Amino acid sequence: MKEILKLLSKTKSSGDLTRRIGLCVILSFAVACGPADKNGKGEATDQQQGEGAKPEVALIMKSLANEFFSSMAKGAEKHQQEFPDQYDLLVNGIKNETDLGQQVALIEQMVAKKVAAIVIAPADSKAVVPALKRAKKEGVVVINIDNQLDAEVLQQAGISIPFVGPDNRKGARKVGEALAAVLKKGDEVAIIEGVQTAFNAKQRKLGFEDAMKAAGMKIVSSQSAQWEMEKANRIASAMISENVNLKALLCANDSMALGAVAAVKGAGKMGDILVVGFDNISAIQAMIKDGRVLATADQHGGQLAVYGIEEALGRLAAGNKGEANRETPVDLITADSLK
Amino acid sequence: MKILKSYAGLLVFLLLLIAFFSFKSQHFFSSGTLVSLLNQIPALMVIAVGMTFVLIIAGIDLSVGSVLALASSVIGVAMLDWGWGLLTAVALALLVGAICGALNGVITVKWAIPSFIVTLGMLEIARGGAYLVTGSSTKYIGAAVEGVATPIGGLGLSPAFIIAVLVVIVGQLVLSKTIWGRYALAIGASESVVVYSGINPRSVKVGVFALSGLLSGLGALFYASRLGSADPNAGIGLELQAIAAVVIGGTSLMGGRGSVVRSFIGVLIIAILETGLAQIGASEPTKRLITGFVIVIAVIADVYRVRLAGKSKN
Repeated sequence: MKEILKLLSKTKSSGDLTRRIGLCVILSFAVACGPADKNGKGEATDQQQGEGAKPEVALIMKSLANEFFSSMAKGAEKHQQEFPDQYDLLVNGIKNETDLGQQVALIEQMVAKKVAAIVIAPADSKAVVPALKRAKKEGVVVINIDNQLDAEVLQQAGISIPFVGPDNRKGARKVGEALAAVLKKGDEVAIIEGVQTAFNAKQRKLGFEDAMKAAGMKIVSSQSAQWEMEKANRIASAMISENVNLKALLCANDSMALGAVAAVKGAGKMGDILVVGFDNISAIQAMIKDGRVLATADQHGGQLAVYGIEEALGRLAAGNKGEANRETPVDLITADSLK
Repeated sequence: MKILKSYAGLLVFLLLLIAFFSFKSQHFFSSGTLVSLLNQIPALMVIAVGMTFVLIIAGIDLSVGSVLALASSVIGVAMLDWGWGLLTAVALALLVGAICGALNGVITVKWAIPSFIVTLGMLEIARGGAYLVTGSSTKYIGAAVEGVATPIGGLGLSPAFIIAVLVVIVGQLVLSKTIWGRYALAIGASESVVVYSGINPRSVKVGVFALSGLLSGLGALFYASRLGSADPNAGIGLELQAIAAVVIGGTSLMGGRGSVVRSFIGVLIIAILETGLAQIGASEPTKRLITGFVIVIAVIADVYRVRLAGKSKN
């Protein structure tokens, strides 16, 4: 069973479907043949965590259907293949970004599996803390990536979990400053936010606001489009209709920026309303090159999980000391930087 | 007169909504808002047509959003990776949609399984397929696909909207003027009576699900065209929007009763709510609360409409 699970998690995932169908088929098969499968069980026991054995690192992601997280997972898998002697990697994702219950269940499964470390991109910055506390109690090294856990809740729980990742607020501020440089003081702008309960959505909104306020822009509307392209398209259309002098749309991710660009085009205001995004996904790059999107931020998504894994391995070797956070770089991407 | 009467309640509700938002927002009552709103809804319109037929035969199709995502992914992959032209890519997407729908129908009929669970399965399968063919990333197609959703100069409306209106009209005619439409209504009202009348309901049922899938494929074209991209995450929750629109339009979840044109008014109500709330800058919780209340109130109002209609008959 364990081997099957490991195989599955290592399979180059070309999608959630293969994994899900595969998992169902193989697991039901394995359960059915369980009692007879003595060899398999024997091998699994040999591989259990022992002194001197390779540590097993569990990477728990949000939705692997999201390009941002799938590229993160691919980066981690590539890293593991480069250093196969140092550790074993288990990658798991949840069905959609807000499926908290499934992520908590994954944490518990990984603890039950006795992994050495968990590197997690939390679906919620508060609700996974109790499960992670139990994991730490079992001696698992826990590293937080992507979406930073809530400091207050961590304090209440009496634990500290190091965060390895970018400062989203700083990144969004950089994007906002690049935009402000081409606007005039007093221009009307609007913000399209991500899921409002998510920490990184809040940080990006704050970063945009920082830059806009510092440059004296007028924020006429700020609404959530739940990270989704089509929703952003509708919200942006409504914002454009309502605010005839709108000069820019600041979108908290690139999918929403794509939707906003379509809205600007639909309203016949190409060139009058500027759009900026965040994440630097592949689909946005053509738009940055031809000027339909002014700027985005690259937080090196493909490397984020690797940074977390490196931190976990370092702590496993050094005895998990120190709880300092580690900030990873965020770069501004404009037409110039893509040349 | 009779026709006007059956739409009166819904239209009054629609006008009240428009009046409310025009009063609350500076620019809601403008041609700009109207045009952008009408050009946003073609996908939901055609999917609501399919959903109307599905609900009329007392079924449900939860897979429409995922099938839309799969079909739009197929358009993206065909055009970008295989170098196909728009027409052939769209033909393939329509075929994929129709096959997904037909599978829903065949499985529902052959094993007499509730369509709720069959289409729930297809919701997962088609979504997985969409992630599989796109490698889980948004595909930017660009100008090659955008024409269908680009407003025609002077008119302001997009070809997509015009096609969607035609689909609504044809859908209504098929439902009320053809034998096939009558069979669908009869199956929803009482399948056993249909069987005893010597008519085989199976082919009609499979046809209805295939139609729903086909129209999801058409919706995929509109969707990809409006956004210039194929998005494997497209249409999450679209099935609920479509069901809400159809039910607001007075089609019964129990089958046997419904109207395509009324579903279209339901789509307008949902779209006006969404655009209006965004234009007045309502907060996220307010948006959800109001949308929820409007759906429930519209359905309660429909119950009274049906009761009144029943009384006047007696």
